[in-house]
Amino acid sequence: MQSYWFGDVEDGRCTLFTGDSHAIIDRIQSIVTSMDTFVPPDWEHAVLCGACRDRGEYLARLQAACIEAAERLIREHYSRKDAELLQMVRTLDEIDTVINLLSEKAAEWYLIRHPAFSRKYRRTPAHALVKTMRERSKGALGKVAGEIEQLANTRTILAKEVSARANDVMPNTSALIGGLVAARLMSHAGGLLPLSRLPASAIQVLGARTALFAHLKTRSPCPKHGIIFQHRRVHNSPREVRGKVSRVLAGKLAIAARLDFFRGVAEPDFLEMAQRRIDATVKRSKL
Amino acid sequence: MIWIGDVLVSQGEGGVYNERMLGGARVWDPYRSKLSALYFAGTGVELTPGMRVLYLGAANGTTVSHVADYVDVVYAVEFAPRPMQDLLEVCRRRRNIIPIMADAARPEQYAPLVEAVDLLYQDVAQPDQAAIVLRNCAFLKHGGTVILMLKTRSVDVRKEPAEVFHDTIDSLISAGLIVKELTWLSPFHADHAAIVCIKPEV
Repeated sequence: MQSYWFGDVEDGRCTLFTGDSHAIIDRIQSIVTSMDTFVPPDWEHAVLCGACRDRGEYLARLQAACIEAAERLIREHYSRKDAELLQMVRTLDEIDTVINLLSEKAAEWYLIRHPAFSRKYRRTPAHALVKTMRERSKGALGKVAGEIEQLANTRTILAKEVSARANDVMPNTSALIGGLVAARLMSHAGGLLPLSRLPASAIQVLGARTALFAHLKTRSPCPKHGIIFQHRRVHNSPREVRGKVSRVLAGKLAIAARLDFFRGVAEPDFLEMAQRRIDATVKRSKL
Repeated sequence: MIWIGDVLVSQGEGGVYNERMLGGARVWDPYRSKLSALYFAGTGVELTPGMRVLYLGAANGTTVSHVADYVDVVYAVEFAPRPMQDLLEVCRRRRNIIPIMADAARPEQYAPLVEAVDLLYQDVAQPDQAAIVLRNCAFLKHGGTVILMLKTRSVDVRKEPAEVFHDTIDSLISAGLIVKELTWLSPFHADHAAIVCIKPEV
């Protein structure tokens, strides 16, 4: 017997499946087909069992059911907790890029108006410079500087939201490496499921794509860390042991991501052991 | 295929992706669509009104909409939700596209939906493109055609494109397909090759 979306066919006889489009979608998802004995459906069988009158109607009914099934799957996919976090953290990183680009351009413009001004030998942080530009510039330049400040405020709010959401969606990973960096890892992997499927060695160099492919193609050394460099225990470690620390950290992150995907709640026992192991690596390296 | 001068076009309702129109027909740009590039760089397969097509890796439905202009029906398989949203919008305006949200590597999941087809077109960015084609050959009629758009860089970046190309062809031939045409799609698409095969008659 062959089961199709419209009914079951056996020896040229067809049993019609009755049910609304919802039932048809459930049916499509529940049918288990063996590809070895599979015979593709024939619209004439569908006519035979009364699912439709002609080929036009066959395709119309099939299309309607398929569109609805796809819409349902898309809704399900987007209702997963990581879907919004993914867009939030990508927007956050994009805002950072925009702020940097705009500040740079505005500073160049400001230099033309104030030829005596230079950033050399001054410890002016970028946001302080933007504030100065806003206060001392008339017209569009002042406005641009004001917009940069606004955008920086939005960025702060968004960063807090990303962090809070990451603590909720991926509690274990966030506990090990912080919400922001955890969210970035997830964003680079493409979601929580893909992240949980990655081996530790891939998590370790996630975000170091250029260096990794340069290593694979040429004889350049392989990258020791990608995004996880942003974590303090990696970038605060002495240079010669950073690779070791990031490897241990990535190993624990791989486990944490799986806990987050399959359990979704913080595991205190695991976290304590993992933190101790990572700290031990950092400490041993300092001796 | 319909050519106006040296421009490839298809007949259908325009405005799908702001494509250029020429004499009431939709211009099919070889730089955007790999299938169009195949018609420019090589021979390809004549699309006819009676044809049924299984299209793996439908993406946003850009190329799918042109294929649908030529043929009877296109079964369009796409896995990712974001492009699927766009593909659904195309389907609502074109009656002969059946959208299937599934993984092309698991044909058993959409088998109850797909008729026997005359053309199997595959354009997925996966490392095992040949294996995916072979698994989907169950839908292909004997004497039907396979068009495989090989993204050599998605298979293995460390290998030379030509090496990936030959490995893929070997696995298709050893599975019993008859290779009819091999075309590199340059200058339209770098490191992409089209492989046209026939599933032999019994």
